Amino acid sequence: SPAQPATMNPARHWQKVLYERQPFPDNYVDQRFLEELRKNIHARQYQYWAVVFESGAVVQQLCSVCVFIVTWWYMDDGLLSVQWLFGAGLVSSLIGYILFDAIDSGAGRKENRRTRWADLKSTLVFVAFTYGFSPVLKTLTESISTDTIYAMSVFMLLGHLIFFDYGANAAIVSSTLSLNMAIFASVCLASRLPRSLHAFVMVTFAIQIFALWPMLQKKLKAQTPRCYIIVTVVFALSALTGLLTISSVGAVLFTLLLVSISCLCPYYLIRLQLFKDNIHGPWDEAEIKEDLSRFLM
Amino acid sequence: MACRRIGDQEQFLATAFSVVNCGRPPAWGIRTHSICMVSDFFYPNMGGVESHIYQLSQCLIERGHKVIIVTHAYGSRKGIRYLTNGLKVYYLPLKVMYNQSTATTLFHSLPLLSKENTVLRAALDPEIVSVIPNAVDPTDLTPDPSRRDNSTITIVVVSRLVYRKGIDLLSGIIPELCQKYPDLNFLVGGEGPKRIVLEEVRERYQLHDRVRLLGALEHQDVRNVLVQGHIFLNTSLTEAFCMAIVEAASCGLQVVSTRVGGIPEVLPEDLIILCEPSVKSLCDGLEKAMLQLRSGTSLAPEIIHNKVKTFYTWRNVAARTEKVYDRVADETVLPMDKRLDRLITHCGSVTGYIFALFAVLNFLFLVFLRWMTPDSIIEAARDATGPNGVWTKQYFHTQKRKEKEENSNC
Repeated sequence: SPAQPATMNPARHWQKVLYERQPFPDNYVDQRFLEELRKNIHARQYQYWAVVFESGAVVQQLCSVCVFIVTWWYMDDGLLSVQWLFGAGLVSSLIGYILFDAIDSGAGRKENRRTRWADLKSTLVFVAFTYGFSPVLKTLTESISTDTIYAMSVFMLLGHLIFFDYGANAAIVSSTLSLNMAIFASVCLASRLPRSLHAFVMVTFAIQIFALWPMLQKKLKAQTPRCYIIVTVVFALSALTGLLTISSVGAVLFTLLLVSISCLCPYYLIRLQLFKDNIHGPWDEAEIKEDLSRFLM
Repeated sequence: MACRRIGDQEQFLATAFSVVNCGRPPAWGIRTHSICMVSDFFYPNMGGVESHIYQLSQCLIERGHKVIIVTHAYGSRKGIRYLTNGLKVYYLPLKVMYNQSTATTLFHSLPLLSKENTVLRAALDPEIVSVIPNAVDPTDLTPDPSRRDNSTITIVVVSRLVYRKGIDLLSGIIPELCQKYPDLNFLVGGEGPKRIVLEEVRERYQLHDRVRLLGALEHQDVRNVLVQGHIFLNTSLTEAFCMAIVEAASCGLQVVSTRVGGIPEVLPEDLIILCEPSVKSLCDGLEKAMLQLRSGTSLAPEIIHNKVKTFYTWRNVAARTEKVYDRVADETVLPMDKRLDRLITHCGSVTGYIFALFAVLNFLFLVFLRWMTPDSIIEAARDATGPNGVWTKQYFHTQKRKEKEENSNC
């Protein structure tokens, strides 16, 4: 029979082929067995402080949500006047707008070829439309019970945090969905405020904090990391102070959350790298590295 | 199952396991086993697993073993049937869940991988893993150069049109080569979700008369398609044992394939051109094959066929499988506590305990079934001998001797 190790020729080496009948048994284990095994080729070495720095994006977004809710709370309680919030929003937007161009001295603007006139136009269109539709926004979800509104807002804001683009290249990331969820939450919450002007200011504020603020942050992070750290810390402290005036328990829990995300989680990430045990070898599925869509264009 | 069989439908083969019992006296020098093959896939269903089990069983019967097959009922085909040479098939009245699979297959269909991967993932001793290739019946897959159109060159692709088969690569190769060589045609057999990509390419580059998409092929039609081509192209991104390239080579085609998985082990270097899984490398490989064809330096189809037909035969597979059965039959069966120990120590600190729990539940279920229907009231089946005793071993023995004589004559 062909598979029998009939003539053991020591000079002949085993070959990793199936088409030839070799004088070796089928369960023969060659010296070169597992020679092509590679382990953890995608494992990365992290620096603790670099990870802490990167976690700033998550901290910032949590604080944004916190500031938004605190602001809404004040508006709902009548502690914050509409004019004041609108004025503060307008001033900070203007400062942010100037900073946005100042940070990279207009390089991004040149690249996008976007004029100031275009910016002004879209701002005017947006403000006009939101103002015009604010009575509709105010009454849109009025018939829905308040508990449902709160639950929906919580889910929408959680969704905003989950799908937000923190800079990771993952399938779950969708900045459009994330922004839409946040705006939807703001529309929901705005309907519980006393007047349609409140709704208008609330939705405008949501746009400022969920759409414009992250853009500025991203640029800050890329251009001036030092400033970014300071801004993050100040922003987190102000969010905490705001929360403290509403609920001290909430403030303590939120502090714990921020500390664990910016200090404990990076530590865990680095520790868990030691337990990584990924196996790679020629049996892995090959990857198509080139862009094949060009053949269809 | 200690041995591994590699096939084109590897994900289902995991469930085709065999139970070996060597209580019968040895005859004619070799140990005979009573073998039970269990698989969801069997005739009248057609496919790679089905024919593998059938052919292997026939060869094992020929070698003097007793083989039965257990599968689920197919429509009105239930109960016990006898196939050629007394191959006894039990069609059990089990509920089919999905795609001719019963619950058991759905729950434990692990993909079968290379020996390295099997050893690593299952934490096995490599000594107990045997590598036995699949077999190809070369008698049906003969070349027929008269069917080729020698005024042009035809590249044949026969594969399911899915991502894992690298159809995206093919969608880059077709326009690249068709623009360069006006006398080149493609013939694509198979169906799948990636068909739309090929259709788009054909539309975009106006190649309707040069790229023919044949759709799904029955296994018996494959040869008909293969013999029309000069070059066979395989663009798989992962493959354990590529039956398609062996079949194509058996039909006398020059094979061009990606160098992935076990493909380099399947055909010798003079019968295959191996490429990296990229459009550029595959185009280079195909151009090389076309150049060989034009200059007449490529091997004649008849020569390729005669080489390939000796590589993978069912008799060889059966003989090698038999060795695995012999070895397994000698292993001592571990008692329950040892088995649980092994599960707990081998399968991870958490999953090990979960597996052990399932093993215990399985064992208790077995005890319950034994209590419901004790062994003593089950009547042992008797070996059938067939009409005029044609299924007895004596008959095969003489047959085999005849064949041997024939073989030595030619």
